[in-house]
Amino acid sequence: MTSQPTFTPRQSPTKRTGVIRVENMSRRFGAFWALQSATFTIRPGEILGLIGPNGSGKTTLFQCVAGVTPASLGTVTVDGSSIEPSQRKHALFFVPDGIRPWPGQPVSWVLRFIAGLHGATDASLTRAISVLGLDPLLGARLGQLSKGEHRRVMLAVGLLTPPPLLMLDEPFDGLDLRQTRDVMSVLRAHRDEGRTLFLSIHQLGDAARICDRFVLLSGGRIAGEGTLDELRARARVTDGGLEEVFLALT
Amino acid sequence: MRSPETSGVRAWRWLLENELRELSASRSYWLLILVIGALVGHALMTSTELYAEASGIGGGASALSQGLSPLEGIVVPTLGVYDLAATLLFPFVVIRLVASEKQSGALSLSLQAPAAFGEVIAAKAMALIVAWLVAGIAGAVALGLWASMGGHLGAAETSTVVLGHVLRGVLTIGVSAAAGALAASAASAAIIALTITLGTWALDYVAAARGGAIAAIAEYTPSAALRVFEHGELRVATVLILLTLGSAGLVCAAVWLQDGKPIQRRAISLGAVAVVTVLVCLAFAQIRASRDVSEDRRNSFPRADETALRAIDKPLRITVNLAAEDPRLTDLERGVLAKLRRTMRRVTVSYGATSRSGLFEKQNDQYGEVWYDLDGKREMTRSTTQPIVLETIYRLAARQPPTPSDDKPYTGYPLAARATLAPWIFFLVWPLCVGMTWWWLRRPRLLRIRTFGEQS
Repeated sequence: MTSQPTFTPRQSPTKRTGVIRVENMSRRFGAFWALQSATFTIRPGEILGLIGPNGSGKTTLFQCVAGVTPASLGTVTVDGSSIEPSQRKHALFFVPDGIRPWPGQPVSWVLRFIAGLHGATDASLTRAISVLGLDPLLGARLGQLSKGEHRRVMLAVGLLTPPPLLMLDEPFDGLDLRQTRDVMSVLRAHRDEGRTLFLSIHQLGDAARICDRFVLLSGGRIAGEGTLDELRARARVTDGGLEEVFLALT
Repeated sequence: MRSPETSGVRAWRWLLENELRELSASRSYWLLILVIGALVGHALMTSTELYAEASGIGGGASALSQGLSPLEGIVVPTLGVYDLAATLLFPFVVIRLVASEKQSGALSLSLQAPAAFGEVIAAKAMALIVAWLVAGIAGAVALGLWASMGGHLGAAETSTVVLGHVLRGVLTIGVSAAAGALAASAASAAIIALTITLGTWALDYVAAARGGAIAAIAEYTPSAALRVFEHGELRVATVLILLTLGSAGLVCAAVWLQDGKPIQRRAISLGAVAVVTVLVCLAFAQIRASRDVSEDRRNSFPRADETALRAIDKPLRITVNLAAEDPRLTDLERGVLAKLRRTMRRVTVSYGATSRSGLFEKQNDQYGEVWYDLDGKREMTRSTTQPIVLETIYRLAARQPPTPSDDKPYTGYPLAARATLAPWIFFLVWPLCVGMTWWWLRRPRLLRIRTFGEQS
């Protein structure tokens, strides 16, 4: 990977999304509510972090927002207009955590396929490969990649898609310190191009370094939403980090 | 800058290419190709050997040449391998393509593709049809070898058998795709697919003893439907129903794989698909149009009789008191009843015997009798031969039997030759070709990423 990567996938920015409002999102498995009345806002051009410990419902919330899992209750609106789950793929793209798609295919084909399918240009494709340091992996099959390598390929998949909101579930899981720092730079550059990012992160240190705002999730409920300063004020923590704030609010 | 809006056609092309690559990366598919080659080779060698013996290659008396039809002597047994493959091998290839997508997580990315999910499934179906056609190369080579030996191939009857196997493949794709979508894992999907196959076998077995509605349904089990094509009959209803059932399976897969929809809504949609499928199949089953494409006209009466029978516009009711496994019933079905159904517009057949074998029917009942009822007049005969039955029908219709037409008699195609090249082709060249193709497709290589724009 390059030490200071920049990602400029488009010569002209994709149309920005409007304000996305997730309201009352709930998901029940039998008698157990994995997610209860989650309500928050995703603002255009920001990096919003979904913060919570393992099992707090982050992935369920992502899946429900993306429309790949049916929500028991709740809506997603863009600028006040409700979007049906089947239509959300036009507004957002979701890269789930832990998937290992097309294990028998070479990385080069998977990236070319995603780019072709979603109408990305060859310039976008080569830049994504370059900034994520995927050149040495192009001939390898996805099933042969390490966790970190696979994560970078999946990140490239997300970057090559056109919807204005990109949702990444645990984008830094499996990456080492240098890779994490580089990927953060790529994501910031991507944000600067006009895309909105919504990241699910369980490492609070990583979240504090990249996110503009945070949604705190605990036990399937939203415990807070805002910038670090706003959350500090709400938690009445004067100079603590995200960790202290999270502990104070949950 | 993005390239111009991804059109549906372009997205579909990418999806199709990806599915074809997934298939070519599948070991189960290459194993299928390899096994089919060996089985086809064995079937060809066995059938040509028998055919040559019947044609007098051993120096003994040859069979009557009229009985030597390449359709049933060579084409049906050689291509019959594909029925076996469609039953026991191909389902696993289909299931792998559908179920592995669920397990690997690729489905969650496919659901977000800029195409309707139906198009994603259609791309899978098209790739699988291509795969089935590629598997058919072994059969084409076998028939080509037969032709190169001097063997005769009737274009229409051979094409009809090939069509039957293609439709058999489509049915397998539909059923297996639905199983792959509904089941939680590939193993469970395989069990479901095999259970459905066993169910159709059971239906065939029960229908053979019962007749009536069950027999009518059993006409469209994979084995029974294929038999129609193998007899050189192109029946419109069978073609349409097989296509409908295959498509219904794919629609079920498309409905069920959409994880974003609540399970209740998907279940209701599945129920609606099932109801519509049944109704469409019932409607198609009413279509009587069919064509006898066999060169020996095995599914037809002589042309003069066909003309005379078509002129009888009264409904004909036939009551057959023969058990399902009585060989006389088989003779009557094949030699008379099937042809009558094709020829006369209003024929109803009911089966009076209750036992399976007929050995233990009551002594005082009418076992062995076949009653013909036309316009209130009834007549009984125990004969199952075509001329006698036709005479009976003409008598009931108060018509003179027609003057025999001068149909050109089928002369048959004896060929006393052995397929000596077959072992080399199917047990040496074929595996080598399959292995080399697999290696060539799997070899490490870089796609020309940087010149992608030139290729798209």
